[in-house]
Amino acid sequence: MLRAEYERRLTEIRRGFEQSGDGLKAAAARAALVDSLILRTWAVEAEADPKLRSGFALCAVGGYGRGLLFPYSDIDLLCCVEASAAANAKPSIRRLSQSLWDCGIQLALSIRRPEECDHFQPGNAEFGLSLMDVRYIGGDQKIFDRLREKSVGKMMQRDGKAIAAELEKLTRDRHAKYGDTLFHLEPNIKDCPGGLRDAHVCQWLGSLRGEGTVESPEFHEALAFLAAVRCFLHYRHERDDNILDWQAQDAAAELGIGLSGRVRASVDPAYWMRVYFRYARIIERRLIREAEDSGLRIEAETPLRRIKVSRDAGFEIKSGRIELAPLAPSGIDAAHEPDIVLAVFAAMARTGATLSPATEERIADAIPLLSANLEEGPGLWLQLDAILTAERAGAALRSMHALGVLELLLPEFHGIDALVIRDAYHRYTVDEHTFVLIDTLHGLEGDPGPDAPEWRVKFRTMIRELQNPGLLYLAAVLHDTGKGRSGASHAVESARLARSVLARLEMDAYDSSMVMRLIENHLEMSAALRRDIFDADTVRAFAGKVQTHEALRMLTLFTYADIAAVHPDALTPWKAENLWRLCMAANNQLDRNVDDERVHTLGSLDGTAASKARDEKIARVLALAPGEETALENFLNGFPARYVKTRSADVILQHFAMTRLFEQEPFQIAFQYGNAVHEITLVTQDRPRLFAGVASALAAWGMNIVTADAFANSTGVVVDTFRFTDSFRTLELNATERERFVASVRDLIAGRASVEKLLSGRRRGRRRVPRLKVETRIEFDNTAAAHSTLLQVVAQDVSGLLRAISMTLSSLGHNVEVALVDTEGETAIDVFYLTNGGLQLNSEQERVLREALTAAISENAS
Amino acid sequence: MQKIEAVIQPSKLDAVKDALVEAGVSGITIFEARGHGRQKGHTEFYRGREYAVDLLPKIKLELVVSDDAVEKAIQAIITAARTGRIGDGKIFVSKIDEAIRIRNDERGEIAL
Repeated sequence: MLRAEYERRLTEIRRGFEQSGDGLKAAAARAALVDSLILRTWAVEAEADPKLRSGFALCAVGGYGRGLLFPYSDIDLLCCVEASAAANAKPSIRRLSQSLWDCGIQLALSIRRPEECDHFQPGNAEFGLSLMDVRYIGGDQKIFDRLREKSVGKMMQRDGKAIAAELEKLTRDRHAKYGDTLFHLEPNIKDCPGGLRDAHVCQWLGSLRGEGTVESPEFHEALAFLAAVRCFLHYRHERDDNILDWQAQDAAAELGIGLSGRVRASVDPAYWMRVYFRYARIIERRLIREAEDSGLRIEAETPLRRIKVSRDAGFEIKSGRIELAPLAPSGIDAAHEPDIVLAVFAAMARTGATLSPATEERIADAIPLLSANLEEGPGLWLQLDAILTAERAGAALRSMHALGVLELLLPEFHGIDALVIRDAYHRYTVDEHTFVLIDTLHGLEGDPGPDAPEWRVKFRTMIRELQNPGLLYLAAVLHDTGKGRSGASHAVESARLARSVLARLEMDAYDSSMVMRLIENHLEMSAALRRDIFDADTVRAFAGKVQTHEALRMLTLFTYADIAAVHPDALTPWKAENLWRLCMAANNQLDRNVDDERVHTLGSLDGTAASKARDEKIARVLALAPGEETALENFLNGFPARYVKTRSADVILQHFAMTRLFEQEPFQIAFQYGNAVHEITLVTQDRPRLFAGVASALAAWGMNIVTADAFANSTGVVVDTFRFTDSFRTLELNATERERFVASVRDLIAGRASVEKLLSGRRRGRRRVPRLKVETRIEFDNTAAAHSTLLQVVAQDVSGLLRAISMTLSSLGHNVEVALVDTEGETAIDVFYLTNGGLQLNSEQERVLREALTAAISENAS
Repeated sequence: MQKIEAVIQPSKLDAVKDALVEAGVSGITIFEARGHGRQKGHTEFYRGREYAVDLLPKIKLELVVSDDAVEKAIQAIITAARTGRIGDGKIFVSKIDEAIRIRNDERGEIAL
């Protein structure tokens, strides 16, 4: 009878939910229904035994105590009994439990004396926490009052700190289980960060502080949304299952679950999930504030790093919180100044500090003004670079994203905001995957420990020695933005979006090209791993796509982090080791065959390795110079394919244009001043000692060459490019010196000035002691190219090295057909394709050259 | 019932999986493995330093099939994994006494 009524009423509640979509109302209705059934059942017992009317109280605890019973949630009932009444009450409690089970109400029943509830036991934290929501159902009101006021009240007062500490620990552990992120593709809406459990923690912390529950409208809205979703999931799964899987997302979007406050209609699942994540963010942020108000910290513990912040920085850092400067009397608000706001996020990324709630609010409110005041260009890139390359960049970017600052700088990111892409592998939304990737890259910089495998140590070295790591991180931020667009390939779409970002940041051609290639090729290494990585063709094809050592290093690191960010178990040591092996093999392949693979005929490339992509590149270059196709084809003809592949169409056209000015000045020089690395390109007609001349000129100016390459076409036009750092900051501190520098280099190359004279006038600085001693290795290979000898020199990277090598080569009459110069930390790796009299070097020439190089390198180093 | 253990080239995994499905094999366990047989290994150079690549990446498959399906499964693996070069891998076959489905205690071939 009672069971039939219970089931009928449950059906009514369900029907009511299906009509109204009000989860809180449905949960409250079930709690009220259970209350009434318990009271009616208990009334029968109390009628039969009047002694039960005193010394005994029925109390709801946990979620039931809060008056919210979701359709399949447990029912926690506490029978609070005085010691004197316990023996008498036990048989009645047993019968009560039995009757309710017969009705289909599955009780979790506990019997306690009031005094047993006056202390918190960390070993049984769940019970202690459930008592905080205790609610009277029936029985002796005095017993209940004693329980609530004296026992529970005492517990909360006396053990408040212990309860808060336990809550902090439990919450942290729970969040860690979910990767400390709410952005899961299939979230558990109760236990994930930003879930209902977090909302309860907010309420408990408020109670512990004696402030009760003050629910802001947005918090209540978020709670109502999650309650509706939980009801929906329970009804859908017919059990206490709170996982919002893809099928459930589709169904919830179809029914407009949780959207009842507005127009409740079918919506796109991606939109509906964004609504979910928005509400989850509200809960999560509220939790962080509640914790802060309680002197706790829920976010994963990260040791704070101290930095010095100047007084006029517009913000300060106190106890791990960043606070914007108060509004100035003049009315100037630091939150409206992009430079200050970006400096705040850079400080966050460097120190691990978090924004104070007030600062968060001020920045979020200032977005329209920030937008109006924002200046793009190289300055913005410098500020972004400072954020991206700092250790805690992931946390800073998440905060920027949550407040709308990231989308302000990079509107392209908006398309992947909380975007769920359904596949069997990914765990996180696309934006969160990006942040996890960035965390993973920074994690590689840390000490791997003494027992770390070889690949882990090598990856650390690789990332620490990148010339411009900001490029890798920028590519990481942008690599999946294309997923927010419809298109055949997200890599292509992402690259298209990245192009406009790079243009706004006014990045130089080399850096832009590096970022673009990383994004375009970001799936190539994963694809190669699925093939035979020991097969020469696989390695050759992969190396052909990467083209340079720096790009290979970045792509290897990127692929490592991209796989690791899919889900915590995705990157097995097996995969990481294969990645490292493919990197090694491709690295060795990169310098091979460069001299043979040339732009051979007009408009197409040399036979074996010619590819559609390369031909497309040439077609693109030609399309940009209408009316000059023939002259341009003549210019391109005979260059190594590497030249075309590693230069953007604009840069190739610039070099071509420089050849048109040979009559005015035969030594054409293009100089690009960069943030950290500068680039100088010489375009001229080939002549002896040219490469050595540039290397010498740069050495004479005290520049440290980082990478270089030298190519020539079939008519003897050479394009030598050197990327270098300015060891003495000559060009940075004296902007006017830049013009003099270019003119001087031109005169030195042309022989109009003396390198030796300039070198002798330069005071030689004291060399720093190298962190790693690199042994000189000199190797020759006559199989890498048909008509030239490959020379590889691996040596300690010290200034003047390239000059010493190239001067030795020219002094022995060897012609540099192609040069590929690279550095990796303390190691310089210089590759030259040499001919002598148009032929490969013979063994005697190699012997003499080896001896001469060994002596020259040794002399330069001493 | 017999257990087939196959060590194959990682690049052949997709092809072998497809071939086994085609041959009617539905259950398969895959392990990422390292090892070498006659293939031994080799030395790689990276930036002037020498690295020994003595244990090569492999994939190990395990599947248990009924006696009458063994030959078909073996042929499927061989056809899909063979390149004719050293390093293609090995297949080991052994007898299985019993198979039990944990969910419902079914035993024998029906549990496969």
